[in-house]
This record gives sequence, structure tokens and C-alpha cells, in this order.
Amino acid sequence: MMRNKIVPLLALSLLIGIAAAATQWTMQPKQSKLTFVGTQAGAQFEAVFEKFTADIKFDPKDLAGSHFDVKIDLNSVNSSDSERDDAIKGPDLFAVKQWPTAHYVAEKFTDKGGGKFSATGKLTLRNVTKDVPIEFTFEEGKDGARLKGSASLKRLDFGVGQGDWKDTSSVANEVKVRFALLLKQ
Amino acid sequence: MQAKNSQEQYGAVAQLFHWIVVGLIVTQFILANKAAGLEGLAKLPVLATHKSVGMTVFGLAILRLLWRWMNPVPPMPANTPSWQRVAAHASHWALYGLLFVIPLLGWLMSSARNFPVSYFGMFTFPDLIAPNRPRYEFFHEAHELMATILFYVALVHIAAALKHHLIDRDNVLRRMLPVKLKPENR
Repeated sequence: MMRNKIVPLLALSLLIGIAAAATQWTMQPKQSKLTFVGTQAGAQFEAVFEKFTADIKFDPKDLAGSHFDVKIDLNSVNSSDSERDDAIKGPDLFAVKQWPTAHYVAEKFTDKGGGKFSATGKLTLRNVTKDVPIEFTFEEGKDGARLKGSASLKRLDFGVGQGDWKDTSSVANEVKVRFALLLKQ
Repeated sequence: MQAKNSQEQYGAVAQLFHWIVVGLIVTQFILANKAAGLEGLAKLPVLATHKSVGMTVFGLAILRLLWRWMNPVPPMPANTPSWQRVAAHASHWALYGLLFVIPLLGWLMSSARNFPVSYFGMFTFPDLIAPNRPRYEFFHEAHELMATILFYVALVHIAAALKHHLIDRDNVLRRMLPVKLKPENR
């Protein structure tokens, strides 16, 4: 009888051991930034997401056990213009009333050398889930670890742009996402 | 017609600068009024063109002043009363000043609202100041006020040119046109 219980327990502890291998980091919200750069009538503008959480398990030596889970409060978008923010949150773009959160999960990491990494993850925005690769650097220092990187995506892949907003001559399809996080153990 | 100004008439370069800027300023008033009646997405391309044209006016204003500096303008008719000389100088320098100040205020207001200025989608001008709503409101008001002043100074400028042409029957308007001057009959 005892034997029957020990095997699953061992397996469980082994699993926990693997999952715990990559360092669990805590994001410091005040020193972390997530922005996107849109192009409007040929001119780029940057907007900030003021509220987001990032659950980061990362160890350059244990990429298999690393994992990013980021939740972005789309209502917290700030492009320094309230009218534009309202349009971004509106039904034709983010539609925050229906889908208030964007979710990004990355599990497959690649070491590109020189402190550079890439990952493929899945972004869920407006209930559409698509692969979005990210590139980033990871530097550990005295005050914690800095995770900095970017991603490029096409807004229309996620339906961000209904009706007139499908037109890419006024608002470009390409959007760049930038992030710079300060992580502590 | 020669490129440079003569003692009697503006040269081709100065005339071209003058009339191109006239066309662009008229375009700017039309675009600004059109944009005021639009909302959201429809407003974007109109304002983008307005900004690009405005930066063209800004650039031309610099070139015009450089050209004017290298190439003195024809003197006013000898019999011009002194109050008219003063008025003509004041309105001309007001016009030059406004051609600088109005685009600059537009650029500042765009920066303050985080709507950077693109040049016909080819490149983007750097922001002059950080986004700031109260500053945006201020520059917006100032941009419109200066544009209104430009409108009235331009009206005076046109009225004066027509007065010279139709009442005084002199060459003052003709010298800014690619035409032969009327022989002086005094």
C-alpha cells in the first residue's frame, strides 16, 4: 500500500523541483514599463500601459523551466491624449468593455548569446490568440534583474481595428511593443 | 525675368516664394477649417496634411528670409508717405514673423499632445516638448490666435496692394507679378 503512494509523491516532488528550478521573480511595478508604439498618419506615438502584471520565471541556465505570464489592463492605456485613449479603448479597437485584459504567455525560450534571448509566446487580445515572438536582454545586477525587449505585431491580426479603423493608411497595421522590467527575487 | 530682385521689380525667386506661400497659407486655412468639422479617424489625414504643409511654410519662411537678406528688395515708390512706409514695414515684418511663429506653435502643440509631426509620412520631426495637456491647450489657443491675426494682416496687405494698383495706379502690385512694369509717367 505504501509503495503505491510513494511513487506518485516522488513524481509530484520531482515536477515541483523542475518547475522551481528557474528563478521566480517579482516585478517592481514602479520601475517597470510597458509601452506600444503606433503609427498614426505617418507619425509614431508612444502609449504606456500603466497597469500590468508580469509573472516571470526565468533563469538563463534553465530556459526549459522559464515562463512568462503577463496580464495587461487595457483600460490603463495612456497615450498622453484622452481623446485618443478613448478611441483606443473603444469598441473598434481594444473594446475594453468586452475584453479588458490582454494576456501574454511565453514558454519557448532561445538563448541567442551575449545576454540576448528570444521567446515565442501567445498573445490574447480581443479574444484572439496568436503567436507573438519577443526579443529581450536579461541582466542581473545588485538591485535585481533587468528584462528589456520588444515585439512587433500587426494589430489587425487581433481585430484591433474594426470598420473604418481597418484602414491602415491612417493608422499603420504594424505596432511595436516595448518593455523594460525591474525584477527582484 | 531675372532670378534676383532689380531696383524696380521682385525677381523670379522672390516672386515664386511669395506666391507659393500664398497658395500654401490658403491651403492651411481650408484644411484647418475642414479638420475642425471632423472627428476621430477622419480628422487624422486632414491634420497630417495640415502639419506637413505647415512645416513646408516654416522651411520656406527660413529660405525666404535668407534670400531677402542676400538680395535686397526693391525700394518703395519715392512719393510714399511716411505713415505708409511705417505701415508697410510693420505689416511685412508681421507677415514674416507669423510665417515662423504659427508653424512653430503648431509643432509645439503637436508635441504637447503626443501627436508628432510627420512630413508627408516620409519622416517624423522630433518633439519639441514632452506631452502636457495644459501646454497643449495654451499652444493651441496661441496657434489659432496667431492664424487669425495672419488672416487680418493678410487682408490689409491685399487691400494695400489693390489700393496701389487700382487707385494710385502704380507698379507696387505689378512688381510682385511676372509682368512688364508700366512706364513711370511722372
